[in-house]
Amino acid sequence: MFEPTIEQRSVKNDIATVKRKSSLFKVKSTDLISPFYLWCGLILLALFTLAPFVYLFTSSISKTEELLSGHLVPHSPTLENYYRLFTGNGAAEFIAAMKNSIIVSLGTTVGTLILAIFASYAFSKVMFPFRNSALFTVLAMQLLPSISIIAPLYVMMRNGISIAIPFTNVILFQSPPLLDTVWSLIISYTTFSLPFAIWIMTGYFQTIPKALEEAAIIDGCSRMGSLFRIIIPLAMPGIAATAIFTLLLAWDEFMFASAFTQSFASKTLPIAIREFIGKHNIDWGLMTAGGFIASLPPVLVSVFLYKYIVGGLAGGGVKE
Amino acid sequence: MEKSAGKSAKFRLMGKKKRKDLLFAVILLLPTFYILFKTFLFPIYQSLVWSMYKYHMLDGSDVVFVGFSNFTALFKNHDFWTATYFTGYFTVISTVAELVLGLFSALLLNQMFRGRVFFRMIIIIPWAMLTLVNGLLWKWIFQPGNGSFTIILKKIHVLSASENPLWLADAHNIINSVVVADVWKMTPFMTLLLLAGLQAIPSTLYEAAMMDGAGFWKKLWYVTIPQLFPILMIAVVLRTIAAFRVYDILTVFTGDPTTSISYLTFNKAFRYFYLGEASAMAWVSTAIILVFIVLYIRMLKKNSHEV
Repeated sequence: MFEPTIEQRSVKNDIATVKRKSSLFKVKSTDLISPFYLWCGLILLALFTLAPFVYLFTSSISKTEELLSGHLVPHSPTLENYYRLFTGNGAAEFIAAMKNSIIVSLGTTVGTLILAIFASYAFSKVMFPFRNSALFTVLAMQLLPSISIIAPLYVMMRNGISIAIPFTNVILFQSPPLLDTVWSLIISYTTFSLPFAIWIMTGYFQTIPKALEEAAIIDGCSRMGSLFRIIIPLAMPGIAATAIFTLLLAWDEFMFASAFTQSFASKTLPIAIREFIGKHNIDWGLMTAGGFIASLPPVLVSVFLYKYIVGGLAGGGVKE
Repeated sequence: MEKSAGKSAKFRLMGKKKRKDLLFAVILLLPTFYILFKTFLFPIYQSLVWSMYKYHMLDGSDVVFVGFSNFTALFKNHDFWTATYFTGYFTVISTVAELVLGLFSALLLNQMFRGRVFFRMIIIIPWAMLTLVNGLLWKWIFQPGNGSFTIILKKIHVLSASENPLWLADAHNIINSVVVADVWKMTPFMTLLLLAGLQAIPSTLYEAAMMDGAGFWKKLWYVTIPQLFPILMIAVVLRTIAAFRVYDILTVFTGDPTTSISYLTFNKAFRYFYLGEASAMAWVSTAIILVFIVLYIRMLKKNSHEV
């Protein structure tokens, strides 16, 4: 029987502690740090966390001359850099990259979720031999570096993917070459987000009491029916956490994208931003504007869906 | 354990149900297993095979079996050892820094105070930023002359107005700057992981320590760290595995591929298209990471049995 890991248990304790704590306002024994040092620490923490991010933004609304003369805060804020980003020379490529990033992240997330929900259901609710070994193999795959599979995947994408019946020469499906298409990215990102998606969701599915599902089956629900009517609605926080992690991973990925993409048919945002670095000088105004735009979606998603991320981090041991 | 033994006995009696379960599991898992086999397990095996061949993708030369000579050539290669040294240096320094800073941030955020949710939310911002933008941002900060690091140091009179150090002059300085960028981005991950662990420590332990007159350091040393130890270890192994693969940030800071094994491997494969040698190099990384993965899984299993 697969036992919940210590992190998964601590989520439950976490909720209990928070509930207990909010009813008390006096200094507790678990508070190690005195208020003075606490606030000193918090101010430092907030400064170091926010200052670079704010600097990214203030640089992006500065005039190039101000950046070159070393003004940290713009004296006359301007949206000139954003205007150049969306109408200037490289605008078509940047907009195409945004579109590609959106397609790749959404495609990866949808594909990963569909596959991982079925797999996690099998891992958490169906008995079969070698279940634990299979689950730990999946975990190991989650942690392997992407550099170990990148060269064979590149050749696979170049030749096109063929689906054949094992040990025969019968080919059921042969795709065209996939290099420089969004498909090459969607497929490879799904490959390495599947393992952690399965790992997180299996943990969540296991917390759903067996009795609920048994009751549904007695009421005439099929196993598939109980998956869709009982398990998925109850495991929504876990599914949301998985979706967020997959989205962020696909949005952020750089190594596969730089190997597999060649033109603006498939270049994603990290690649487009990397190309702002010229041979000799970097247009910092344009670059910070592009960087800020590209970072905004993941930052907003994480801040607003913060509680799901914390739950997922505690439950899954995500590598990034 | 006993419970599952009882269960499997029950399943043996209900042979039909068991077979039906197995079939159901196979149907649910088939697509995932097929994809993972095709795009993950088989490529890993394939790169092991390639690592023993002379395989250049573009020059049209024959693919020749060369045994272990790719590996022996690699271990004689000066660039490879430089890259290994820098990868190790980066991994150790950044993991230790993230661990220490993450622990103290988690201790701060575990206390009760007004606006706690706000502070817990903002620390997630660096973690959510694009890795590449994070690299570029710090490169901008460390620019000589008009980068904010130089300007701030001048404002607080650490540097005189005429000084203008090149922060990114040599490989060591570059790696140190990349460490700063990585610490800024990944400390929140450590903090959130450790915060979950801190919340699970029973307050009675601290009460007992307080009775004995323990101050901050004593509480930290005798209660927090021993209680947090399993999660600390897991966090360290996870960060080590992730830090070892550093690539994105480096490509922003430098064109020098000897600054990390991933960088060197990537260039071998996609700049020069020596897939045989690149596969050998990739397998060295894979083998090192595998050791850590085994360690990690053993820790996870041990934790789930003890609790």
